Amino acid sequence: MAREATYRFEVFTAIGSLVVRVFLLRTVWTALYAHNGAPADLPLHAVITYSTVALLMGLVLDIDQTRLLHDKLHDGSIATDFMKPISVPLYFFSDGTGEVLFHAVLIVPSLLLALLLVHLDVPDPLTVAVFFVSFLLGYSVGFCLNFILNCTAFWTLEISAVQLIVTWVTDLLGGQLVPLVFFPVALQSVLMFLPFAAMFSTPLLIFVGRIPPAQWAAALAVQALWLVILAGVSVVMWRAGSKRVIVQGG
Amino acid sequence: MTPRVMAQVYREYWRVNVLTTLEYRENFLLWFAFTIVYHGTAIAALAVVLARFPSMNGWDFREMAFLYALWMMSHALHNTLFSAVGDIPEHVREGEFDRFLVRPLDPLFQAITTPGQIFPDELILAIATFVAATIYSHVTVDLTFVLFVPLIVAGGALIDLGFNLAISTAAFWVIRVDTLRWIVLQLEQEFTRYPVSIYTRGVRLLLTFVFPFAFMNYFPAAYFLHKTNLGIDLPPAAGLLTPLIGVVFAAMAYVFWRYGLNHYQGVGH
Repeated sequence: MAREATYRFEVFTAIGSLVVRVFLLRTVWTALYAHNGAPADLPLHAVITYSTVALLMGLVLDIDQTRLLHDKLHDGSIATDFMKPISVPLYFFSDGTGEVLFHAVLIVPSLLLALLLVHLDVPDPLTVAVFFVSFLLGYSVGFCLNFILNCTAFWTLEISAVQLIVTWVTDLLGGQLVPLVFFPVALQSVLMFLPFAAMFSTPLLIFVGRIPPAQWAAALAVQALWLVILAGVSVVMWRAGSKRVIVQGG
Repeated sequence: MTPRVMAQVYREYWRVNVLTTLEYRENFLLWFAFTIVYHGTAIAALAVVLARFPSMNGWDFREMAFLYALWMMSHALHNTLFSAVGDIPEHVREGEFDRFLVRPLDPLFQAITTPGQIFPDELILAIATFVAATIYSHVTVDLTFVLFVPLIVAGGALIDLGFNLAISTAAFWVIRVDTLRWIVLQLEQEFTRYPVSIYTRGVRLLLTFVFPFAFMNYFPAAYFLHKTNLGIDLPPAAGLLTPLIGVVFAAMAYVFWRYGLNHYQGVGH
């Protein structure tokens, strides 16, 4: 936590840029809705709510919680970590948790400043509760995805470019930039079932009411399924990767 | 220093760049893939939105693609030639910059020619995108277009350079300029993507007269696409002023740079 707090400029950047982007999304969606027929299923205030919440979620979801794994594979210090009497994956998990919590705290001032620019539709408490469950599932899916990417550093060393590619693809195909309901119908039915949608689109569509209560269970089940699959892949990759370190070491 | 020596240094700089790129070929290909995905997602997002909402203040997807491609060219040209200017704050921080000052070559020239893994891949991609967008958007390719597009792209790159240099110069006084650079860059990337006429009056004026990003793509694109409602009280031909604005803007940044340089020497020695 202290390490993060020293980067005061990062805080201003994160909040400042978020506020600017909230302003931008309000302007862009307002212009689009003013000159075209507004879709009945997602009126202007709902799409502004969607996009603003998406940006706030991005504060937490865009963090690479297990970056340390990649760094330690790079400089070789992972070898000594294996000798320590600790669970190494748990160590990486808790190292990143501080940063995640720190950014989660940033949501509060960002939200307050954003509220000066836009009005957010807050749904009923039950919907909000389901949203948080869905968000947590989405966060875990993202966590596994990042962990898998960082694990590839066991075999190849430079992965920053790949991670950035995945981030950009996630933002687009996960519905952070544009709600998936605006994509061509054929594409939509595919994208809805990808893990990217589990990260952003599902919680957001629950929040704005586009996924009605009757479909909550099914939506959460798809997210949970992705979590199980990706967690499984994570375990397999970690086992294979750590064996490799031991082989190299001795 | 004679221009001949500088030309030699510059040639050598590009030779080292190309060799470095060849040495780390896989890494280069990965970053090139990233560049494609980066611009690809931006254009894809526009395509998706404008398929559903066909008009953004009278601009359709074809025109928005042209708007994006024009910005992409200027920005890529700047990144190819001058991205090293952004490393000056690091040179200052590490004390490396003092070495530039005692060498018999202009310090800014030395900063620009610090070799790295630089390759004109983004520029090539930008040119290809621009050609495709020009055909796709049915812009009339006449003599004015052929003569002015290279000048506009150069002018846009100079606007970028002006910002890059001014922010780097600020590093003579404050140690951390990363935040400032990041915010300005984001402002540029996100606000140049849409027609300036959609913004509130204050932002329109800001993008025209204070941070003249509107001259990188919006005004020239509006001119070539025969747009009449610019959202700013300027004649359509204002779009052809980009080269001039670029030169003036870069010159202003250079004056600031010289001032900063004197200040730096005054403190350091």
